[in-house]
Amino acid sequence: MTTTALPRASSPETRSTPARRGGSLADQRRRLFVPFVGPALLLYVVLFVVPIFGAVWISFHKWAGSGPMTWSGIDNYRGLVADPLFRQSLGNTLKLLFVVGIAIFVLSFAMALVLRDMAGRKIVRSVIFFPHLVNALVYGILVGFIFNPDGLANSILKPLGVDAPPQWLAQDNLFPLIMVTMVWMTTGYYTTILMAGVDRIPPYYYEDCALAGANAWQRLRHVILPLTWDVFGVCAVLWTISSVKIFEIIWIFGASNGTGVPPAQTWTAAVYTYVTAFSGDSIPAYGAATASAVLSLFLVTVLVVLLRRVMRRDVIEF
Amino acid sequence: MRTSIAPPATRRWPARRRGPASLSGTGPLRRVGVGLMWLIVLANVAGLGWMALQAFRDTRSILATPWGLPKGFSVENFVEAWTVSDFATATWNSTWVTLVSSVLTVAVAAPAAYWLSRQESRLSRGLTLFFVLGLGVPVQVILIPLFVMLNSVRLIDSLVGLNLVYIGLSMPFTVFLLTGFFRSLPAELEEAAALDGASPAGVFWRVMLPMAKGGMLTAFVLQLIGHWNETLLAVTLLHSTENYTLPVALISFVQQQTYSGADWGGLFAGLCIIVLPMLAVYVWLGRRLTEGLTLGMGK
Repeated sequence: MTTTALPRASSPETRSTPARRGGSLADQRRRLFVPFVGPALLLYVVLFVVPIFGAVWISFHKWAGSGPMTWSGIDNYRGLVADPLFRQSLGNTLKLLFVVGIAIFVLSFAMALVLRDMAGRKIVRSVIFFPHLVNALVYGILVGFIFNPDGLANSILKPLGVDAPPQWLAQDNLFPLIMVTMVWMTTGYYTTILMAGVDRIPPYYYEDCALAGANAWQRLRHVILPLTWDVFGVCAVLWTISSVKIFEIIWIFGASNGTGVPPAQTWTAAVYTYVTAFSGDSIPAYGAATASAVLSLFLVTVLVVLLRRVMRRDVIEF
Repeated sequence: MRTSIAPPATRRWPARRRGPASLSGTGPLRRVGVGLMWLIVLANVAGLGWMALQAFRDTRSILATPWGLPKGFSVENFVEAWTVSDFATATWNSTWVTLVSSVLTVAVAAPAAYWLSRQESRLSRGLTLFFVLGLGVPVQVILIPLFVMLNSVRLIDSLVGLNLVYIGLSMPFTVFLLTGFFRSLPAELEEAAALDGASPAGVFWRVMLPMAKGGMLTAFVLQLIGHWNETLLAVTLLHSTENYTLPVALISFVQQQTYSGADWGGLFAGLCIIVLPMLAVYVWLGRRLTEGLTLGMGK
């Protein structure tokens, strides 16, 4: 990694003093590669890149974490495809990605439009952005309280005459509730990003629209959407990446039911990976766990590449 | 945001009354939208405010009257959370892991980002891309290999190990953010300093770093927030109570409740301990954060 640092440097003998006199700042700077980039690169490679390749390697083995690793080819992947639990977890991750994703996008876009010329927009923006800085555990716990049988939700419904409120936290209702919570937590962040995009549109476009007699829908369709398209692309990529790692908000519901593991109906791909490797109940299956994680990485990669294809348009200069 | 060109107000065409800057259509729909926005704001503030207030009540009264207000500010829950439930240790662990790893992340990433932003070569472009690609990797991919690696060097259940992991994990985003930031700084000053005889390292240290203070502060605070809230790795890598960071302590607190009975008062106190520092940072540096997290990602 260090030997390539001097691609265009002159021969080693002449490098010391003559280069200093004749060499520009850029030439001298190039030599700082090792002290400047070295530490970051080393940490990144050792603690990030090597583990990625490690994961791919482990995923082709049967391994309980200690003891011998046995090569098993693509057995782990085959096992995953056949495992209904994994299919469900992946399905949940896809639900988060697409259903929650679309909800977030529609809402944030609508909110960005409303906020554009609304009095007090700065206050609104600061408040709705804040959940992004809060650990999702907090929202999980709050939702757990609001919807517990003695919680806030039922205390509102009772005076309204609802005697048999829904079992909010029942295993089958939990995941939809988590999805709604995700929308609540995340929309503000994407609204802030989209607002930056909508604000960039110069006002004379709207004046043109008014002159041409365009209605609200036409304005949206022909001015606002095309001009914020690239920001949408960025948001889509961001959401793809962050939705695949959703873990703690699911996990906290396992902590509160006593078993330590959330009900299988709510598992995401990340939870599946964690449970398969570290849940203590059964023999840890590191091979299958890493294989499921590698599939998540594959999913992200494919989707990001696709998104970039689909969202690519000619950049509109304005 | 609103232009100074005031449009003629015509009764005939209500949508124009608001001027050309108005995008979202006609009156009633818009008023509903504005109303909804304030409702959302209210719900957000009320939710967190409610949580903070309940932290001052005991569990029995919280369950009996969830809408009730505390009678006076008894800090019993906080004292209990702090001492009995050992949130003190967790807070201390979280604080120092977060601070150390964020400082080191920026200290390591800034020179690299500077070099990459100023060097125009295939190597620097390739390396920048190499760093950026890490942004797309979900944490669970490296979870197990990291566990195995740290286990083999006895850094499991160690805050030093967690620190190292956080630094490595933060490299893609921090290098990406700071590379963009250094690129936006003018090169003329550096050249002037170099003409005055400063060495390249001196240029970086004495000219660039002072100019880059803002960007580095943003990067630092973003890491602060990220590391303070990080849960999956902490849960995986920390096993003994005295090493727990706040998210792990919170999960284990919730777990214990299923045996020892619900202690919502204590739990809300714990939630306050994890949320309040973020609120403080947000109040302190709000704008910078929003810009770092949105514009920085938009490029």
